[in-house]
Amino acid sequence: MASRLQATARQLSKTFKKKSRFDIGIASELPVAYKKFWREWKVLKPAAVHYIPQEGKWKRDDLTGEILPIQNIPIPLKYPAEINEGLWGGEAVVKGFQKRDAQRRRVPHYWVPVLKRTVVKSEILNTHLSVTVTDRTINLINDHYGFDHYLLKTPACDLVSMLALKLKKQILIELMNGCPRYAYDPQKQKEVYEEYKTYLSSYTPEEIEWYGLTWYEALCKLAKLKEAANRPVPLKNMYRKNLVEKLKAAGIESAKTSPDEISNTTSWLSKMNPFGKKDEA
Amino acid sequence: MLGLRTLIRSAITSVPDVIHQQTRNTFILKRRNPIPLHKKGGRPSKMRGRHFVYDLVEDTNVRRQPDIKVILSQFVDGVGNKGDILNLRPIQAYRDYLMPGLAVYASPENLEKYKADDDKPKTEDTYSSPYVHRTIGCLSRTVLQITMNKFEPWVLEPWHITASFRKSGFVVPEYAIEMPPTQIKGPDLSLQDKEFYITVTINKKEKVNVRCRIYHWASGVDRLPWEESHWKKPKEPLFPEQAAELEKIPLPQ
Repeated sequence: MASRLQATARQLSKTFKKKSRFDIGIASELPVAYKKFWREWKVLKPAAVHYIPQEGKWKRDDLTGEILPIQNIPIPLKYPAEINEGLWGGEAVVKGFQKRDAQRRRVPHYWVPVLKRTVVKSEILNTHLSVTVTDRTINLINDHYGFDHYLLKTPACDLVSMLALKLKKQILIELMNGCPRYAYDPQKQKEVYEEYKTYLSSYTPEEIEWYGLTWYEALCKLAKLKEAANRPVPLKNMYRKNLVEKLKAAGIESAKTSPDEISNTTSWLSKMNPFGKKDEA
Repeated sequence: MLGLRTLIRSAITSVPDVIHQQTRNTFILKRRNPIPLHKKGGRPSKMRGRHFVYDLVEDTNVRRQPDIKVILSQFVDGVGNKGDILNLRPIQAYRDYLMPGLAVYASPENLEKYKADDDKPKTEDTYSSPYVHRTIGCLSRTVLQITMNKFEPWVLEPWHITASFRKSGFVVPEYAIEMPPTQIKGPDLSLQDKEFYITVTINKKEKVNVRCRIYHWASGVDRLPWEESHWKKPKEPLFPEQAAELEKIPLPQ
């Protein structure tokens, strides 16, 4: 009996699929475009910043000659609230211990990135921004030959901060509209568009619309869309229309005019003139 | 998201070997006690306190960063012409050249773009040297005192001007000096309180007007009295047609 129960449980565990956040409630109606962004942001593994990953799949133990698989387990990171107000280039706070002396107990330690305030220049947005950055961000910008290239080439999981994601969304929207901020100089506008238009090929307009939204923002957007789609129509309008049609069908003279005109002319308020003289009113 | 990652990687590799070596400008740490291996496709085992003991491998913020190359997008005084490639410290390049928009990154596209400019004939806004503006400024601020004899007859010639320039610290060859339209002869004490300008050509390209005043020299009792700060005081033009130009040249304060 027990073995049968176990077998059933095993079988069920294979077929049973745990519900993901996209299967519950209103979230099940989120578009594929947002799911794509979510995968890029939360599911994709970010690049190794605070450790050096080992290359290859296997390695041989030096001492025993035993072959072991290589499993790179990333160092857990802490993301403080301030990370969303700057561009840290994938860096974050590492919480851990230092073992300073073999004979002493380990000591807690936080490795916090060195933050600087500097200016970044976005060519597509045609503006300078004062932001909190790290040395790594500036190096990445230099390596990508510009801030816009850095944002557009880097996946959301490596950008981490909401500021960067919002900027990326803004840049994509500007690019989709053909750089309207350069409207005063059509040649420059064309040059900038030609330089960056390759990035547009990986997004559809709907994906850009749903890019860079947090979970809550996406749900709010969806709820608003739904609400706008099925707005209730006042019943009085419907009844009035029905009545007018019935009267027409009966052939009553006064109902020959269209229902819109009736609603306009019947109001006694329209005869009032609050700005006229006393005797006129 | 495999597709995206490969797409990004392919986009990155199309840019020549810049990001092959990933930048880690931060604390690079290493676990002192490795986490035990987990089953293939399984979850990593629960991390214990000892798995959070880290050793610092390197702090890359204190490592010297390599210089970066930028291309000037316009003439910069004292630095270079449009299209010149500079090798600069990253901070200096970012702060002083890239952010103000004086230069662009030396990316392959930009190299191509500004190289094409190089083959074209030089436009008018290129200068013979990055330091031309500085030289023009120095020369136009100068009040050149030409010391001539009070008794021996003379005619003002370019070599007199060259000698006077040498005394005030400029080496000006005679071919670069353009004399005033009328010959100046002396000694003539009426020239003493007058001024005129000569035109100096720098590097056979840029022209600058230099204000000149003649001083009649003699020794002993014949020497003219010393005038306090005479180079700051305005004088009458020697040639009326030069008056308008002389007005434009600022006097030293």
